[in-house]
Amino acid sequence: MPMEKITFANQLLQYLITGLTVGSTYAMVAIGFNIIYNVTEIINLAQGEFVMLGGLVMVFLHVAAGLPIVLAFPLTVIIVTLVGMLLDRLAIRPIRQPSVLTLIIATIAASIIIKGIAMFIWGKDPFDLPAFSGRHPIHFLGAVIQPQYFWIIGFLIVIVIFLTLFFEKTIIGKAMSACADNPGAASLVGINVKRMILLSFALSAAIGAVAGITITPISLMEYDRGAMLAIKGFGAVVLGGLGSFPGAILGGLILGTIESFGAGLIHSGYKDAFALIVLLGALFLRPSGLLGSIEVSKFKRF
Amino acid sequence: MLKTEGLTAYYDNIPALKGISINVPKGQVVTIIGANGAGKSTLLKAISGLIKSLEGRIIYKEKNIAGLLSNQIVGLGISQVPEGRQLFSHLTVQDNINLGAYLKFKRRYRHEIDERIKEVFGMFPILEKRSEQIAGTLSGGEQQMLAIARALMGRPKLLLLDEPSMGLAPLIVKEIFEVIERLNQSGTTILLVEQNARAALKTADYAYVLETGELVLEGSAKDLSGNIKVKEAYLGG
Repeated sequence: MPMEKITFANQLLQYLITGLTVGSTYAMVAIGFNIIYNVTEIINLAQGEFVMLGGLVMVFLHVAAGLPIVLAFPLTVIIVTLVGMLLDRLAIRPIRQPSVLTLIIATIAASIIIKGIAMFIWGKDPFDLPAFSGRHPIHFLGAVIQPQYFWIIGFLIVIVIFLTLFFEKTIIGKAMSACADNPGAASLVGINVKRMILLSFALSAAIGAVAGITITPISLMEYDRGAMLAIKGFGAVVLGGLGSFPGAILGGLILGTIESFGAGLIHSGYKDAFALIVLLGALFLRPSGLLGSIEVSKFKRF
Repeated sequence: MLKTEGLTAYYDNIPALKGISINVPKGQVVTIIGANGAGKSTLLKAISGLIKSLEGRIIYKEKNIAGLLSNQIVGLGISQVPEGRQLFSHLTVQDNINLGAYLKFKRRYRHEIDERIKEVFGMFPILEKRSEQIAGTLSGGEQQMLAIARALMGRPKLLLLDEPSMGLAPLIVKEIFEVIERLNQSGTTILLVEQNARAALKTADYAYVLETGELVLEGSAKDLSGNIKVKEAYLGG
């Protein structure tokens, strides 16, 4: 292939594509936040640990244990989902007279414990995972696209379609929305609110696992990545509007893009700072988020 | 059909009900009247399983249901229309109605649900017109109808109504009470909590008067309407 001259425009396109890919991962984390928030009003700060576990469990099953991807992938999702359910059972449900704040603090504690256990199991080194369909990049208008990018964006689309159908078309999905809307009334129509909370933890853990599995071939994974991913996902949530699924996706993609452009054009050392700047900016300027309603946010405790 | 025996309920260790014993016979409308804060809503919440710290017994169809979870109690055929409607206000009217039959959806009684929806819409035609509207945007009267419709979706044998007339215009109140009478005629037993004692006594067969968590009077609705104390305190002389 003849050497092409990389123009500034090519570079910008490259930043955009990378940004959207990373942003898709943030969007998945943000969706996970919203599912739990919508049912319980809890900000689950252990959300990033699901992503970390997704990546590392997949590495263990696929690379170390040698299971094929088609087997290792669902198995990883199931294992992480179980961790999410345990989180609800062990950290959330046993708390007496819970206030939303104590529950959020409990999720912080849980995230530290999960991180510690992960360090025991996997050590402190980052792990690589083979990309799902190789690492032969596709060249597009001078930008380089890893095949894995398509997997990440594709899974985001699948998750969005699945959740839309789930919350719009199924009675269980409606029941979950009902718990978020009015838990007392939900139990009066026979909805087991505690089970819905369990389900919300399971769902968001599963989505976190998918995010972790798909991002690991690009950015590796190590035991302490969870906290930063949680912060970025939370930034996406706040930017998009707490509780809004379209907001989570928009927020994630915007955040990923800002980060990518910032790292490319300003300084890659500040990469992680951009998410925090966006988070603070959103809280100062528009705390209800881009797609959140100001009306609704008045009633929110967090 | 439903009896409470020495029912005491606590809010943060403070008793809100003190040894309440009432009896709701099958097919009747029983009302509990009393001032604000007398414990009327607490009693309904206790029966529905929304209050955990209870003493005494709640006997429904010969079984003690005190201590069961609220979602289990609905399954037994006791539905509550809670105070202040408590709709799922961000969901549509249709979603609210569907969720009223949540337990039946879980058992996949699709056919029965469709029939029930038809019945409920027949009773409240306005809800069918508004079925795709978000519940929170309905008028007060429509919201009350939706709350009743949602409770009826569970096909309750015993319907608990908490202040169904609250905040409604007199004409709407009349309409709501007509609905209550019709429901009773079609065989639903009703326990009605009301501040609007006049309307409640007109509809009810039997009545209890609750004051600061204790029963102070009981009798047939007719007798109580003529009772001098009730007249002074609750019917405006």
